[in-house]
Parts: sequence; structure tokens; C-alpha cells
Amino acid sequence: MKSKILALLGSTLISGMAMAGGYQVNLASQRQIGMGHTGTGLETGTSSIFFNPGAMSYLRQNGVTIGASGIISKIAYRAPEPGGATAQTDNPLGTPFQVYGVFSISDKLKAGLGVYTPYGSTVKWGDQWNGRFGLNELSLEAIYIQPTVSYRLTDKLGIGVGFVYAVGGVNLQRSIPVQDQSGAYGKAELDGSASGVGFNAGIFFKPSEKLSLGINYRSKVEMEVSEGDVSFTNIPGTLSTRFPAGTQFDAKLPLPATLSLGVGFMPTEALTLAVDISRVGWGAYKSLRFDYSQDVNGVSYSENARNYEDAYIYRVGAEYKVDDALALRAGAYLDQTPVQEGYLTPETPDADSRGLSVGVGYQVSDNFSIDASFLYVNKKERSDASNLSGGIAGTYKSVAYIPGIGLNFTF
Amino acid sequence: MKNVFYKPGMLALVATVLLASCDPEVDGPIVSSGSADFTKYVAVGNSLTAGYADGGLYRESQLNSYPAILAQQFALAGGGEFKQPLFTEEQSNGSGYLKLTGFDASGLPVLEPVKDKLAVVGMGVDNKTPLYAEYLEEVNNLGVPGIKMVNVTTVGYGFNNPLGFNPYYERLLPNDPTSGGLMPYVNKVAATDPTFFTMWLGNNDVLSFATSGGIEPISDADKFQEGLNAMVSTLTANDAEGAIINIPDVTGIPFFTTKATTDLIAKANAANTKLYIVAGTGEVREATPADYVLLTSTVGTPEAVGPATVPHGFSQFNPLGNGEVLDEAEVADVKAATTNFNGMLQAAAQAEDLAYVDMNAFFTSVQPHDGLPGLVLNGVVYSPAFISGNLFSLDGVHLTPRGYAIVANEIIRNINIKYNAQVPTVDETRYRAVLFP
Repeated sequence: MKSKILALLGSTLISGMAMAGGYQVNLASQRQIGMGHTGTGLETGTSSIFFNPGAMSYLRQNGVTIGASGIISKIAYRAPEPGGATAQTDNPLGTPFQVYGVFSISDKLKAGLGVYTPYGSTVKWGDQWNGRFGLNELSLEAIYIQPTVSYRLTDKLGIGVGFVYAVGGVNLQRSIPVQDQSGAYGKAELDGSASGVGFNAGIFFKPSEKLSLGINYRSKVEMEVSEGDVSFTNIPGTLSTRFPAGTQFDAKLPLPATLSLGVGFMPTEALTLAVDISRVGWGAYKSLRFDYSQDVNGVSYSENARNYEDAYIYRVGAEYKVDDALALRAGAYLDQTPVQEGYLTPETPDADSRGLSVGVGYQVSDNFSIDASFLYVNKKERSDASNLSGGIAGTYKSVAYIPGIGLNFTF
Repeated sequence: MKNVFYKPGMLALVATVLLASCDPEVDGPIVSSGSADFTKYVAVGNSLTAGYADGGLYRESQLNSYPAILAQQFALAGGGEFKQPLFTEEQSNGSGYLKLTGFDASGLPVLEPVKDKLAVVGMGVDNKTPLYAEYLEEVNNLGVPGIKMVNVTTVGYGFNNPLGFNPYYERLLPNDPTSGGLMPYVNKVAATDPTFFTMWLGNNDVLSFATSGGIEPISDADKFQEGLNAMVSTLTANDAEGAIINIPDVTGIPFFTTKATTDLIAKANAANTKLYIVAGTGEVREATPADYVLLTSTVGTPEAVGPATVPHGFSQFNPLGNGEVLDEAEVADVKAATTNFNGMLQAAAQAEDLAYVDMNAFFTSVQPHDGLPGLVLNGVVYSPAFISGNLFSLDGVHLTPRGYAIVANEIIRNINIKYNAQVPTVDETRYRAVLFP
């Protein structure tokens, strides 16, 4: 992966495999993961930078949060009946992360910076399964860098907006159905870095101590890959001119807009209940198209329809403060798939998914607290002919186990 | 101190077991033979059944024959051992076959025969038919390249004699005429006593006419029916179940479509001339798109016509020979005979309540239509196109191992339906298509 961002970070951090609908990764705060990833209508601390910049102005202290999750995910595959072929992914550990810092400029005006990973996908089927001409492996990553300001208009109303600069990259590998004299197949690897811009804006309304409401809009970010590299290996000599060396590609991938409404209800000091509804603008993802700098196997581009449809996510979450130090959390969500019938692909073998989460928070000292979360994601088993997307027909079933930990510092 | 290590260790262990046991799984149907009994499967047929490919029969092509693939899948549902008359490793190239060595300037493939490690052990007494290494043990795959439905009752069809014989059948029989050397094919089949069979016979009854450009005759329909009756009554004598596979439209295969007549006519027109053929009637006439130029035709090769040099076929004084073209009237004959023979095959299957595999419809369905591919499997496009279509081998008539796997899957689907069985199909991507240098 030649993505610049990896060099920038100098670590092995990559965004995780998509465990939300499509290739969205909803793992933005360890506290909120524990609460079913609600938070649009809550004061979520520094992570309001993501959930609702309008609520950021309610922060009483300066704070920095660092957190990360580990996605342990597996996808099982079975060929359409009566086919006997099966496969299972060997996905590497996904590690989406979040870093937030919020600083008071005045009592009413706050400034913050968030770096987080709301989209990504790492799926590795290998080069032996029957779908290898569709996909061997795909890694998609997007890291959002979001400077944000938030202003509390009144005690009851806060607004905020952040500018999003997204960097990332894509690496796609697949086998090519041409064989040399030994029967070995050719391979193609597309690798490029991408960037895009967008914004994240929110309004937070807190009519009473017991009730809060929020609305948040994270805009679409169009990630553009320019002059990515296409490399072909193991192409038979007589076909080498059809798969020319030095080919480059351009591509665009939309990271869709998300509109969320959230309600927080605090019946007692100790208990917080939250409900969120999000609409994700997946309809922006019409097709996956690669434009080549020179003809590849006789064509100047390849395009496969995706035709995703907008989808809703429904979330509930709760937090109970056992005492001043200890908080227990739980939550659940239902995440509709944006992938319509006939369009399933091995890169995102998506289905309606159910998430169950638990979490714990512990205030170690006045200035330091720890949040830990565990999320279990179970996608419905789904069979599809994949005849409209150029995908691999069959039945897919995904599960993921996602533990995470976050550290919060206030000053 | 011990506890400090013990507890996290146990936790890690429990967590690992928990996670591993929670791997997702997709349950498949329970494999079953339904009302079929695959204990002893026998395949009867011609070159397609033998696994013939690339203009020859060789060990690799035998190993990838569709009956071998079927038997491998039947074995999951109670099927027994399946023996084929394999050529040995030392003689692995069998009869010899064609290999793709490159493409010429015009983009046409260059094919060269493989001549080493052959199983040719001599010459028949007819002085034209090679003799292949014998295989006298009982076999389950009785595919005999070249055999027609009208040959099945012929005494001496596999006996080395001066009037000619089938060398692929000859190698399965003893040489002694008194101990089975003269045995007709149907008797050889009877001796196997199968519990389940497939029969894909009859292709050559029309194909040899077509590939000879209409010079060899189409089999007589009455004799075809006699041969068919003999085969079916033999195969079902002990209540065996089975499948009868019909004859695909021969004009859809690369042998007839690669040197597309419309392209050749356009080329001739571009050279201010026309494409000429000798029709089956002996008449020299202009070619029309309804005529099929054979893959083996030397059309376009520069040849001297009087003082000039013209591409072969581009002059009425140097037309394509009768044997290079299946003309419109001959095409009609082939299609009519195919329909007629398939009607007999279907009637036989119905009369004996056997599975009937409409391979004719299947191969028609893989033809591209409206600019869209007829068949896409696992992200790979298939068509009857020569070489690039992935289905047909280098002779333009027989299949690649991948093509045979796809055919086997089609047969399995029909058997599953007929016998309420759940035999899994095979992952066709495990089988090769054309190999490129």
C-alpha cells in the first residue's frame, strides 16, 4: 500500500473492515460504542466533534480523547445451490481509531480537532476461492481530519460545524482468468491514494436537564483517486500487450452523507437513555468505475453497477452510573443494508446487520478516565445472484467481534 | 504469582475458544443420491465422454473428462470407484494433441502438435489407423472417440482389420477374435452392468458430416433408432437409472464460427472481389452468410491462379473446396438431422423414465445475445468463441477441462431434478481453460 497516510501515521493503523452498512465504520467513540453508538442527542464529550458539533460547546473542560477498536471479523461463503464450494475470509485485524481534542476559547466558544475513521473496508478472500476473478482482497481506508468550532447560542442551544479533509487509499487485488502454460492465473493489483473534502454540522438543543435533542449532518465526501497504479503479474507472454505495464487508473468513491436525529433522556442523575435514527445517503454510490490510462484487455475502463440505496440505522443505548467512578453501558442497533438484490459483491457482502454492545467507563482520577467497549455485529445470512453488480453469486454470512478502549484526559 | 499468569491465560483461552466457535457458517443442503443409485456409474459415449480435447486424447484430458468429474461428485453421494482407460504417465500425451504456441501476424492462433510421450504403439493392418496402448481392465468410462450411434452393434468395430476400425475401441478389447476382439460396443457396455449411467451418443452421426463439409454422410435415421434402442435396452436391462444427453447444434461451435463467413465476405469485398465456394452440389457460387467456412479451411492463403496470386477463395477460379465449407443446404440437413435425432433421444429417455439433459438448449444459451454474454460464472465470461470463449479447446469442437466441468454441472442439475437428489456441482474455476504461452 503506497498510501501516503500510512507513512504519515508511521504505524500499522488502518481503518477497519466495514461492519456497518456498505463500507461505513461506525466506531467513533468508545463510550458511545458501549451505548449502541447513539450520541447525536447527547453531550458525548470530545466525541461531539463526530456525533454533533453543536453539543461540543457544552463541554466544561478542555479534553483530549484517544481510542481504538480491534475488528475481528469473518465472512463465510457458500456457492449457490447445488454448488459445493465454500470459502471464508482471512481478514486482518481492523483497527479504526479516534483522536479528539477540544479547547475552550471562551465559555461559549469551543474549538476542536478530530481525526477518525468513519469509512473503510478490509476484506481478504485470498486467491484460491471460486470468486477470485471478482476479488482476492480489498482494502479501503479513509481518515477524516476535522477542525471544528462550536458556539453555545443560549443555555439551551448550541451549534457547531467542522470542515472535513479526508485522506485515504484503495488497494484492490484480483485474479485474471488467463492462464500460462503451468495453469497459473494472472493477477491485477490496483493501488492508489485518495482525498476529498466535506463538512460536519450539528445543532444541539437541551430544553431541560432531563431531555436533550440533536440533529447532525455529515456531508458526502467524494474520494478521488488520481493516477493510481495498476500492476499486472503472471500474464502469459502472448497476452502481455493486452495487460500493459505502467497503466494508471482514476476512480471516484463516494463516502455518503449521513443525517442523524438523536434524543437523550436523563430520568435520574445516574441514568441516560438515548435513541438515534440515521439516514445514510448510500444512493450516491451508483457504480464502481476505473478509468485506465491505456487499454486493458481491450477496454479503456471497467465499470460495475452498485446502485446502492439510502438506508436507515436505528439505535438505542443506555448508561447507568453505579457511582461517581463507574459507569455501565449497553446498546443495540439495526443497520439496513444499502445493497439491493442482485448487487451483492464479495468486496462488501452486506446484509441487514444487528449490533449489540456493552461498555464500561471508569473515572480513574479527576483528569483521567478510561472507556472500554465490546460490540458484537451479526449480519443476516444473505443469498444473492449478484447478476447486476458483476459480483460472485452465493450465500454470505458475516460476524464481527469488536473490542475497543479509549483514554480521556481533561484539563 | 502463579495466579497472575493463570487468570489472563485462562481468559485468553476462553476468549479464543469462544471466538473460534462463533465463526460464521453457511449451511448447505445435505448431500443425497435421492432415488438414484450411484454405486456403479458407467459413462457411454464418444470423444466428449472420453475427455477428448485439443484434437487428441491424452492423460490430462482424460482426467478432466466430464464423467470423471461426475463420478467425483457422485462419490459424495454414495458413488463407487470410477475407472478410466487412462494413458500411463510415460505415455501421457496419448494420441498427441494441439498446443497453442502463439499468434501469427493476423492474430490467428498458431497450433502445433505435441509429438512426444505418445501412446502410439504401432500401425493398424489397414495401414492408416494408429494403434494405441491397450487397456484391457474393466473401465467405467466407455467413451470412444469417433463412435456413432449407428456403430454400436457393429461386430469388429474395435478389431484391427484391413477395412478400418476404431483405435480407441480397439485398445479396450483383446486382440484375439475368439475371446472378445470382435465384440460390438453394446456388448462391452452390457458387461459393465451399471446401477447408473450417462449416455451422450449421436453427436458424430451429424458432426462427421458437418466437419467434413458435407462429404461424410449423415447417419441413417432408422439405423440411428436401432442403435439407440440397443443401447437403452442394454443399459436399463437391470433397472439402472441414468441420463441421456442430447446433441448440441454443431453450427454453434468454434469449428464453424471462427472463420466467420460475414468477415471473409467483407474482406473479399474490400479487395474488390467476392468469396467463392464449391457447394455440396458441385456448383461454384458466391458465398453467403448462411454458409459456414470450417476452421480447417485454408481460406485467404495466397495461391497462384493463372499468372496472378490471390487469396484462396477470393476468385471464382480458386473457390473454397466442398470440404472447406458447410453450405446453406448442408446446414439445413445438419439441423434437421439433429432435431430428428434429439427427438429420438428424448423419446427414449421418456419411455424409460430417465433424465434427459438438453445440452442443445444449454449450448444455445451460452451464445452471446444482444451484445451480452450468454454465460457468466464466478466473474468469468463464457461463450462459444474460439480460445477466448474459455469453453472450447483448441480443436474448436471439443471442450476445455473448464468446459467439461460446466457440462458436468449441467448434467448434475438435471440428475438432481429427475432423481430428487442433492449432488453438489463442482467449482468450475478449479479446471483450466486454454493455456497461453
